[in-house]
Formats: sequence, C-alpha cells, structure tokens
Amino acid sequence: MTQAVRPGFRQAVRLASRDFRHDWKVSLCLCVALAAVMTPLMVLFGLKTGIVTTLQTRLLSDPRNREVVVVGSYRLDAGWFSALAAQPGTGFVVPRTRSLAATLDVRVASGKAEPGLELVPTAPGDPLIPPDLRARPLADGTVLLSQSAATTLGVTAGSTVTGQISRIVQGQTEVRRWSLTVAGVVPEALFSRPAVFAPLAFLVAAEDWRDGREKPAADRLFASARVFAADLEAVAPLAEQLRQQGMEVRTRAAEIESVRLLDRSLSRVLSLLLGLAVIGFLLSLGASLWAAVERKRRDLALLRLLGFDGTALALVPVTQGLLVAAGGVALSSLLYWPSAAFFNATLAGTLAREEFVCRLDPAHYLIGIVLTLVLAVLAAAGAARKVAQIDPAESLREI
Amino acid sequence: MTQTSTDAPVLHIKGLSGQRGAFRLTVPGLSLGAGQALAVTGPSGCGKSTLLDLLGLVLRPAAAATFRVMGQDVSALWADGARGQSGLAALRAGSVGYILQTGGLLPYLSVAENIGLSPRLLGQAVDRGWYDHLVTQLGLQDHLTKAPRLLSIGQRQRVAMARALAHRPPLVLADEPTAALDPATADRALALLLGLSVDSGAALILVSHDQRRIAGLQVPVLTGVLEKNGQTVRFVPPGAGDAR
Repeated sequence: MTQAVRPGFRQAVRLASRDFRHDWKVSLCLCVALAAVMTPLMVLFGLKTGIVTTLQTRLLSDPRNREVVVVGSYRLDAGWFSALAAQPGTGFVVPRTRSLAATLDVRVASGKAEPGLELVPTAPGDPLIPPDLRARPLADGTVLLSQSAATTLGVTAGSTVTGQISRIVQGQTEVRRWSLTVAGVVPEALFSRPAVFAPLAFLVAAEDWRDGREKPAADRLFASARVFAADLEAVAPLAEQLRQQGMEVRTRAAEIESVRLLDRSLSRVLSLLLGLAVIGFLLSLGASLWAAVERKRRDLALLRLLGFDGTALALVPVTQGLLVAAGGVALSSLLYWPSAAFFNATLAGTLAREEFVCRLDPAHYLIGIVLTLVLAVLAAAGAARKVAQIDPAESLREI
Repeated sequence: MTQTSTDAPVLHIKGLSGQRGAFRLTVPGLSLGAGQALAVTGPSGCGKSTLLDLLGLVLRPAAAATFRVMGQDVSALWADGARGQSGLAALRAGSVGYILQTGGLLPYLSVAENIGLSPRLLGQAVDRGWYDHLVTQLGLQDHLTKAPRLLSIGQRQRVAMARALAHRPPLVLADEPTAALDPATADRALALLLGLSVDSGAALILVSHDQRRIAGLQVPVLTGVLEKNGQTVRFVPPGAGDAR
C-alpha cells in the first residue's frame, strides 16, 4: 500500500506544475502581481543599503572621523598613555608636547622659508600617515610634510630641508638646526594646515632644548595627546571617557550619529513597508490559491477518486504557491537589476569609484528569496487544508 | 498481500447497506468474479449513485456483513481512521477503474497523459501491448497528443474508458458512461467497454437508468426496488423483489 503513496506525492507535484503551465495566463498574473510588490521593495532596499553603505564607507575612509581631538593643556604621564593605548576602543594614541613649543622654522636650499610650522608628533600606526610609511617608525632625521607646507616650500618626497628652532638665553638668541629628509606628504584631505609630522622623540628633544633642560626627564608629563578611536562605534565612548577625566574633547560625533540615524530610520520605514507587503502577499496569494481550489474542485475530487491521498493532493496548492513565488522572484530580479544599474549610472557623478547608490547585499537577496518561498507555503496552507478535505465522491456528481 | 486465485471473487458483498440523509439502500448479496459483468439499473433517484459511491469506496457503509474488494475488508478500512483512508485511497488507485458520466479527464494533460495517470500514480511502467490494444480498439491513435477539450464528447468518453482500464484494475465501475452520447454512439461505446473488460479480465459494474439498452447487453442485472415501508431500496435481481 505504502508504495502507492510515494509516487502520489511526486505525481501531485507534477500535476500541479502541469496545471500551472496550462493556466499560464492566470499564473503569469499572479507572478506579475508578486513582482509588482517585490521590485519596488528591492529597489528601496537597494537604495537604502547603497546610500547608507556609501556614507559609512566615506566616514570610515576618512580617519579624521575617528579622531578624538583633545583641547587644552593637561598633565598626562606615561601610565595614562599606556592605559589608554591598552583599551580595545583606542586605535592610535601619541603624546603631544606643549603647543607653544611645538613649532619649527623650515627653509629649503632654494631660499624659500616657512617660519613657525606646526610640529605634529607621530608614531607607527598613525592613521594620517600614508599607508606605505605608516607601519615602521620614521628614521632619524626624516619627517613628513602636510600638503600645504610641501606646496609652499616647493618640495616633494625625497627633498632635503633644514629645520630650525631658537631660544633666548640671557638676552642672546641661540639657534639649533637639523637637516631633515622629507619622507612623504600627508594629503590635504587629511590635514589641511601647514605642518611637519615628526617622531615624538624629535618634539621631546626640541621642547627640552627650548626649556633649557640638558637631559630628558625620567617622569615626563605631556600637555596633550593625539587620539584616534579604533572604529566609528568607539568614538563616542572614548570621548565620553576622556570628558569624565575632566578633559575637553571634540569629535565628529554628529556626522557619525546622523548616518546611524539615517540607517535606523530608513530601516524602520522599510520594515513597515516590508510588513505591509508581506501581509498583502499572504492574503492575495492565499485568496488566489483558495479560489483556484474552488475552481478546480471537480478535477481535484477526480484525483482523490483515482486514489491520490488527501495529503498528497494538499501539495498541489503548495507547489503552485512555490511556482508563483519562484516566478515572482525571477521577474522582479529581471526588473531590479536594470533599475539598480540605472540609478547607479544616473547618479554616478556624485560617487567615487567603488561606490553605489543602489546595491543589494547578496545575503539579503538570498534571505528575500527564502522568505518569499516560505511565505508562499504559508499562503498555500488554507488552500491545502481545503484540498485535503475534498470528498472524492464529488467527482461522481454532475455539477 | 492477498492470495489471488482465479475463483476468488473480485467483489464480495453480503448484507451491505448505505445511507445518505433519510435515504437508505441495501444489497442483500453480490459476488462478481474476474471477467464478469453486472448491470445496475432502476428509475432515476432509486439510489444508483449512492450504491456506486459505496462500491467506489468513497461512501462509508452504514452496515455490512461482508464487503470485500480483492479480498480486502472494506468495512475495516473505513473503521481505521486516517490509516484506513490511505488504505482506501490505495485500494481505489490499484484495484478500481472509474468511468464517469462526463468528463473525468484532466484538461491540462494530453490524452496520452490522461490515460497514463493511474499507472503513473501506481509507479507502474505502462504495459505497451495492453496500451496499444486499448488505444487501437477505442480508435484513439490519432488523438494521443491532443488536449481533451479538442475532442468530441464521444471521443472523450472513449479516452475515459482507456484511462479507467489502463492499469488493468480488477474492478471497473461505469456510471452512466453513455448518458451524454447519441444512441448509435452509445451502443458502440458500451459494446467496446464490455469487450475490453473481458480482454482485461476485469469485473465490470455498469450503472444505467436506460433499462432497454441494458436488456440488450445480456448481462446479469440488479434493479433498485423500493420496499413496502417506502424508505429503503433493495438492489436485487429482477423478480427477486416480487418474490418477497
């Protein structure tokens, strides 16, 4: 007996697909109706993902968004720095000397000179330093220039410049000079002011010399720090922590927060739309499959009479629901990709390379497909129950 | 599962009664072997359809002393809940062929696929020789790839016969198979059905209100007779009702 049931399931699926194909006009209408709901949703999701991802990428690609700028002068010891550096939320930290002492006069052989350039301490891992120079410490006697300083002085990477600081001792001006090699240039986008990036040891030596200290102090205190968070999420907590210590800090928190807010509110709006679409899809497909069972009641009763199991025949609306879902997914995918390409092409002017206005995460796409198929099965549940209850004797009656 | 000997009846009934609403029918006794035919007749509304539902395993008997199809106890299957329903479906699939008044064909399958429906459901390979015999006898060779809606009513009815006989079920039930046909076509169709049932070795039950046409077939007949209480119809051989 049981071997008659097994092919029954397979045959029910086969007959359902044949009926689906035979009734292709109705089937196409159902698929189009599904695609009409799905395509705009896919485009909206694509736009949301594309825009938010682009904004996030932009935020991430600019290390200044991770900076926690310390304002004012403090007394920070080595222990404070090592504790901060050890925190997972800290991406980069380097001590700053007093800002008044951190200047350098620079001149080049051609005679161009720039007095009082800002001296910025750097160390390996500094996010502002070009990646190829970031990993290793700068060699003795090498510095980096900000783009604006390099332009004013007319130098490029590899040039040699002379750095000079001065102090007044008992009415006499004393001068100290270094011959410095320009290892590289920090782009304008990352640091707009004219400045010299030098190893911390150089700034410490300059400060000591200006203050007239002959040898470095063992328990040195620093006035400030350059601090970068490890990622965007860590910026706010890190800034809050420094504020709690009584320091004044500035971040680009507002910009980070605005992108996050945009992401959240778009997600909320889209979830609502998705919810409405899901309900609409369930009801409309459910009603269509139900009506199809009603329309084909006599054929289904005939199959029961011929010995199809009720549960096997319940697969008929389920199969047809899945076919509608598959057709709808295929159709909406066909419509989505040109739409996305159109958006990306028309708005390409506002984008950098590798950026998209409209983009569907493959994982989300896959989840969408699975969700549609699952919903189709759910929508078919009512019709399936109805089929399973059809009395085979109905086929013997004249209607 | 059941031992099939040539003389074991395909259908064996004693004291079967069925009920639909206030209407009640009984069949005191009926036994039908392979290759035998039986006609069931009676005026319209005498309960032929209800009897057919009982024999077709789609109506639960009200009572039955014996009700066996191919040795299987049908009453027991009806009493066995969901498992019994599966058993009944399997018995319908394997042991019974149905020919309905009209239709009985699926519009979305070709003629050939409609004929192959039962063998496919049973997971059987189509018996080529038998299939060709059916198709030729019923004159369907030129219509096999067509959709049923492209055929005349007479042709469709012949397809329905082929579909009912394709898997060579031991029992064939025909419900007014010629009611929609004109008299000449009807006679030819009935003759074909009787001949093919014998070829197949099937027991055939032919239900018809057309007593004149049945009389011409020279097969045993059961007639529905209203009992004196005016509520129960007994299906008995002609004359038997008067004797009681």
